[in-house]
Amino acid sequence: MFASMRSRVRAWITIGAGTVAAILAANLLGAFGALPEPEIPVFAAGQEIETGQWRVTPLRAFVTDQRIYDAPIREGQKALVLEVEMTNRTAASTTDYFTLFKHGLPVGEESETPFVMLTRDPSMTPELHPAMKERVAFVWALPESATSPGEIPFSVNTKTYKPIDNLYGVPGWYNEQELGRLVIPVSEASG
Amino acid sequence: MSAGAAVSTGAAEIGQSERRWRRRSLWALLILLPATLALGSYTPVKWLFAAKDLFPRDVEPGSTVRFGGSDWKLEAMLTTKDTGSVKLPENAVPVFVDFSVTIGDPDLQKLWTGCRITLADAAGRSWLPTSLPILRYSDDWSDCNSATFSGAAAGATLKIREAFVVPKDAIPTIEPTLGLGSERPYYLRFLRARD
Amino acid sequence: MIGHRLANLAILGLAAAICYGMQTSKPHYADLTGPIPVRGGMGDDVKARLFQLRVDKVEFAKILAVSEFGKDRTLTTGGIWAIVTVELAATNSTTTVSEATWQGPTGLGYRETERLAMVSGLPPFTVEPGLPARGRFVFEVPPSEISGATLLVSNERAFALDSQARITLDGLRLKPDGTPEMVADIYDMDEPIQ
Repeated sequence: MFASMRSRVRAWITIGAGTVAAILAANLLGAFGALPEPEIPVFAAGQEIETGQWRVTPLRAFVTDQRIYDAPIREGQKALVLEVEMTNRTAASTTDYFTLFKHGLPVGEESETPFVMLTRDPSMTPELHPAMKERVAFVWALPESATSPGEIPFSVNTKTYKPIDNLYGVPGWYNEQELGRLVIPVSEASG
Repeated sequence: MSAGAAVSTGAAEIGQSERRWRRRSLWALLILLPATLALGSYTPVKWLFAAKDLFPRDVEPGSTVRFGGSDWKLEAMLTTKDTGSVKLPENAVPVFVDFSVTIGDPDLQKLWTGCRITLADAAGRSWLPTSLPILRYSDDWSDCNSATFSGAAAGATLKIREAFVVPKDAIPTIEPTLGLGSERPYYLRFLRARD
Repeated sequence: MIGHRLANLAILGLAAAICYGMQTSKPHYADLTGPIPVRGGMGDDVKARLFQLRVDKVEFAKILAVSEFGKDRTLTTGGIWAIVTVELAATNSTTTVSEATWQGPTGLGYRETERLAMVSGLPPFTVEPGLPARGRFVFEVPPSEISGATLLVSNERAFALDSQARITLDGLRLKPDGTPEMVADIYDMDEPIQ
């Protein structure tokens, strides 16, 4: 087939192949990584954030050593609390919110996963239903000795929706990535 | 013979042999397809048999049977009018089934896995032990699960009692059944005394 | 010769079209192993594989009142509480029914509430054959998802190729705007199931 094409076409294909190979090699070697990174959006308290699964409005953040919303914080720990109003934008009740906010403080693995409390009852790990706005508190257990900065840039994470996944063909939310940063002042509250 | 004729008869022979092999292959499919299915489903069928009580072995009333490495005897199947503080619905009747087991092989945790005692009636319905607290606690009797983990030694006799709640209309035909992990898919069915 | 070539091309094209059609119309794994629906309406005896279900009534309330460990508690919601009273029976052997979802008219799924942990008469239900039992499923739903809703009930949350009862909630008394006529201010969950 290649032999029957006219020589001009052949020449173009040969040149093109070389160019494509050059670009691929450059990509693999990281040339495109050296481009300037796109800007990470920054959110503020009171601003509505759409992450795909959730529509979240952060309200306030504070650190306390009192019992807050019945969260199981142990002795020798203090609680970093982020209160938000959030709405489930998916089609079914879900509890997939544990990685929505990450505080990024260097306080160890145990403090990475928050306790998520529904402030109404209060109850832990509530199942949030579609199209129903609820006031929720994310409570991280920090060691007593951790210093709380005046402002914490929480990273807001999102997942992309796949209507058919590769394994079971069911819809789901995958591939977590950072959507932006929430810069919020953290006050010292006594409860 | 000219060269052309030789070629044509050679071609005809090859044609015949091709046709013959094609026919043989098609017939072979008739054997290969079921064989593949059987080979592929061998493992799942084995698992199915190991997980369910499928084939009953009848036990005459009053006799002792070797099952799961130990000797089982159905002592009694009783009902009672007193259910303590638990209120049962209108047509529900409590039934207690008592076994006495003489331990043969003491490796109960391996032989008695998934111990399943049920009551089955003639219509094909079956009842699992109830979670209602109608069984009064007693040192003499334990349920099958506790007996499996009791660490009893060979030669010891254990008393096992399970409580069920069944509808009144099932009482005439219910029979206790016993299924143990090591004996599946076979299970014991204790026949009622013919009176 | 030309006719031959055209016929060949036509058959090739047809074969390609058939293959493409088969590939795109192949059901996905989720559909092949999905729930097998058993449909019915309110008041019908819906027979799934292991259990039988009949929806007796659906009541609505703004607040639920429960008493746990001697303490009285009220549960509020941003929407409306829907309390579905059902009668359950087992078909052949003792079985557990633990999963119920309120599916709104647009397909949004509201799972049975987990906020009522210590109350009796709520799932998971253990049902025995010949002994039907009454129970309640409680959901919190927005008022817009009530008219045209369906109740989905199954033995477990994750199941394959098992039956799922789908009951159209057609017997609800609703106002013209789709919200329920009767919404109680407080519903006492400790009252025995009527």
